[in-house]
Amino acid sequence: MAIEIAKAKPVAPPDSTPVDPAYLKIRDLIYRISGIYYSEEKHYLLKSRCERRMAALRVTSAPEYFEHLTIRGNRDAELRLLLNEITIGETYMFRHPAQLEALRNVILPSILQAKGLISLKRLRFWCAGCSTGEEPHTLAMFLLEEKDKLLAGWSFEILATDLNDNSLEAARAGIYGEYALRNTSDAMRRKYFKDVGNQKLQGNDLLKAPIRFERINLSDDSKMLFQKGMDVIFCCNVLIYFDLASKRRVVQHFYSNLLPGGYLFLGNAESLFQVDDSFRLVHFAGVTAYLKPTAALAGGGKK
Amino acid sequence: MNEKLQFQLRAQISQMDSISTAPAILMPLLEMLRLPSDRISLEKVVELISYDGAIAAQCLRLANSPLFGRRQTETVRAAVMALGLERVRSMLFGLCVNRVMPQDKWVIPPDAFWRHSLGCALVTQRMANKIEYPEPEKAYLAGLLHDLGFLVNSVLYTDGFRECLRLAAEQHLALHVVEEQVLGFSHCDAGQMLCEHWGLSKELVDAARCHHDVCLLPKAGPLACLVHLSDLLCRVRYLGYGYEEFMGVDLGGDAAWQALVRSYPALEHMDLVRFTFDIDGAMDQIVATVDAVFGAKTMTAPASG
Repeated sequence: MAIEIAKAKPVAPPDSTPVDPAYLKIRDLIYRISGIYYSEEKHYLLKSRCERRMAALRVTSAPEYFEHLTIRGNRDAELRLLLNEITIGETYMFRHPAQLEALRNVILPSILQAKGLISLKRLRFWCAGCSTGEEPHTLAMFLLEEKDKLLAGWSFEILATDLNDNSLEAARAGIYGEYALRNTSDAMRRKYFKDVGNQKLQGNDLLKAPIRFERINLSDDSKMLFQKGMDVIFCCNVLIYFDLASKRRVVQHFYSNLLPGGYLFLGNAESLFQVDDSFRLVHFAGVTAYLKPTAALAGGGKK
Repeated sequence: MNEKLQFQLRAQISQMDSISTAPAILMPLLEMLRLPSDRISLEKVVELISYDGAIAAQCLRLANSPLFGRRQTETVRAAVMALGLERVRSMLFGLCVNRVMPQDKWVIPPDAFWRHSLGCALVTQRMANKIEYPEPEKAYLAGLLHDLGFLVNSVLYTDGFRECLRLAAEQHLALHVVEEQVLGFSHCDAGQMLCEHWGLSKELVDAARCHHDVCLLPKAGPLACLVHLSDLLCRVRYLGYGYEEFMGVDLGGDAAWQALVRSYPALEHMDLVRFTFDIDGAMDQIVATVDAVFGAKTMTAPASG
């Protein structure tokens, strides 16, 4: 007798009602267009994001919403609104501790070792699409904390850029409320912020010193050409709004802006599949990043 | 590993009281694990379990646990139905290993060992399905057994192996590298010998032997390559040996990946990122399964069940 219990219900998710196949189509559409991927176990997240948009549109079924994303006249606008919904609340300090751990444990030690051979002990970081500044400020805190440890004898600077003037202005001001600081310890708050009333904190001079804010349009080739010598670039949930051709161009710029051995970080569920194959995908504990190989690696590792 | 040490280790394995004879249930169990799920007969599984009172009791206990709704399960058959084949076979394997492994000899925490072994089995199987490897169940088995060498090291070289684990954890290094330095051989060598001693197939022996270095074999078989990659993925995704290794894993640049691509050209166009996102998503599931099957309560002496 053949056994029919092999596909017994999994233990973990208590709610294992079958997923509407339309959500699978939406998932694949989002992946193809933006590079953001929802694994099977994250479907409930995708579903809740879609449902918010569906409520706004007074759409009741997933198949109907899929039509809004694909064949209705407003599909481009709707897709953008859905992507906004997907990335909403993504930005607060220390949002991605796994990125910082990978930097501390693996990436920086290897970069320091390689660069230590030359006399200029300086590191350059770039937050491309820094929005209201949570990411560069987090990075600054992280690097400042390592100043006498891992980075003893090294200097560093962070370039933080965005296209949107309002965001940049907010980033420069560096005033944050409880939501942005929810993952920031009291010790860090005391060390790097000052109280400006209204339950808001503002980054102090120590925190701001390593950061340089600038308005850069990632599609502006002439400006992109001049951001050379980067060690690590962060570009989280920015490329998802670009079409494939522009995405390719931006990523190629990042590639030439990075020094060999440098890394590009994207958003947590973002992929460069079919966008670029010059970078090497590298897995770290809890996070993936893209490596610009050194000359030796590039020869051996290429497919 | 030098020849003298090799000879010595082989002799020690054959004299190890607990390990030298595989438990009676192991061979038929491994035979069963080699088959695709839809070809395994329920009767066979029930028969296998019924041979062994302690294991049967364990099955009933797990099926009657709150996890499965405290059903009143009174027969082995009903228990197997309630648990599902996946869980039953993982549990059987766990119980077998526990038979050969004295409780006080564990060096790697047992729950870390189970999570890693089962995680690796499931990831190897998923990867095998992805490349359309003809025998995904065999891939599962190879993943499950790849670290058996740890048992040998724990039993025969308890103190030395404990030192290896301490050093590796302290410096966040790969365990096999430290084993080579401290013991002069690694769990890969020990695993190879144990698998040979138990008469497992050559492919399984090779997977145990080469899962940290597929270049050991002139032509690495796909099974060894799959296990190697899954092992890396598990270790970099919190399913290692109970401590964090500081490493970055470039799967696509790995020698095992390139060997696989030569045999399975479809791999070259595979979306590795999406695949690993899927695996990441499944990790929680894997941990939940392992905890359900090997959780502290179910792993204690079967006699009390």
